[in-house]
Amino acid sequence: MTQDTDRRRSISDAARLAGLLEQVGRKRDAQAFRALFDHFAPRIRSFLMKRRVSAALADDLTQDVMLAIWRRASSFDAAKASAATWIYTIARNAHIDHYRKAVRARKIDEHDPHFQPPDQPLPDDLYERAEAGQSVTGALSGLPDDQRLVLELAFTEGLSHSEIAERLDLPLGTVKSRVRLAMNKMRQGLGEWK
Amino acid sequence: MTQRGHVLDDSWYLDYAAGTLGTEAQDVMMASHVELSDEARGRVAALETLGGAMLDASDGEAPLGFSVEDILRRAGSEAEEDLTAAPVAAAPAADDGLCLPQALQDYLARTGTPVRWGFLGPGMRKAILWRGEHGERLWLLRAQPGVAIPHHGHNGSELTLVLKGSFWDGDQEYRPGDVEEAHPGVEHDIRIDEGGECICLALTEGKLKFESPVLRAFQVFTGL
Repeated sequence: MTQDTDRRRSISDAARLAGLLEQVGRKRDAQAFRALFDHFAPRIRSFLMKRRVSAALADDLTQDVMLAIWRRASSFDAAKASAATWIYTIARNAHIDHYRKAVRARKIDEHDPHFQPPDQPLPDDLYERAEAGQSVTGALSGLPDDQRLVLELAFTEGLSHSEIAERLDLPLGTVKSRVRLAMNKMRQGLGEWK
Repeated sequence: MTQRGHVLDDSWYLDYAAGTLGTEAQDVMMASHVELSDEARGRVAALETLGGAMLDASDGEAPLGFSVEDILRRAGSEAEEDLTAAPVAAAPAADDGLCLPQALQDYLARTGTPVRWGFLGPGMRKAILWRGEHGERLWLLRAQPGVAIPHHGHNGSELTLVLKGSFWDGDQEYRPGDVEEAHPGVEHDIRIDEGGECICLALTEGKLKFESPVLRAFQVFTGL
């Protein structure tokens, strides 16, 4: 029951955010942008921090992403993606672009603590965290814990599938097959999540 | 759901959608594949939906070091140049029917990489675009209709994306947007389709292993 209410709330919230983004796109509506900012700016910053970006850089990149949202809002198409998905891809790309530029300029020291994973939770703790239902997305909640954990580590901590294998101390093939199973399941039930 | 075309293992799409691929060359390869393949685009879109849901669920309690008015001020004062947008790609000099995907054109423009064709073998030319620190190469293959690349294996893995034309590996045909992943120890017998020239983008991780000593000798010159 509660899940149902949560679900309805999150769907209407998604519609509200898409509406705001469309208003920014159509009319450069600063009031709509302020509302989008209140919702997304802290989330983008926290998303970047989880990917081991320093606080100062997270502030800089979040500002760049918010500015890009303001400027590109007219290319947002609510029929193709949710506001959160559209903004996620902008934030992800801003982060990659920054990282690739630093690599190209050879500014990256691989021993820099910024690029070292922080105190890594043990696999058992990770499973507990996943079980605690920390993730609220419907598409994920139908997945077995071991599959959901792999996807969460990829998106929230920014780990590649081989880094996930290392972190969970699993063979690479096991992680690959979990990704495959999860994606097959999601493909079946994805319609409602688009 | 019917799968259209040849695609990769799902872990590739996950790494791409999560933004965790190891190198820029892998970014370019995957972005080109996703651009050209409906199936790949569908998989990535599904994963990005998840990324969006997880962004939306991330708790953002830490105070921000800036305010929305800072952004609006910047939007008003700075010229309308988009800081995070991909640079507008200059058309590659003499794009003589190469059919390069936008993602690859952007990469070439961004890094100032020229497409210089060199000899690879009879009826085949190659243009190396990037070399990694661990012997990886991102390169273009341009082959005449009907050319065969005889029995060869790989020391490392290799991704081959068809940009134009098509090739056959055994009885499997690879068309634009399709990608073949070759693993070490697996033998390949490639033949370019008779219908026209074929252009592929390849990302190779170790040297190719040819059975024929003549082709092995060629490798000294071709750099592959």
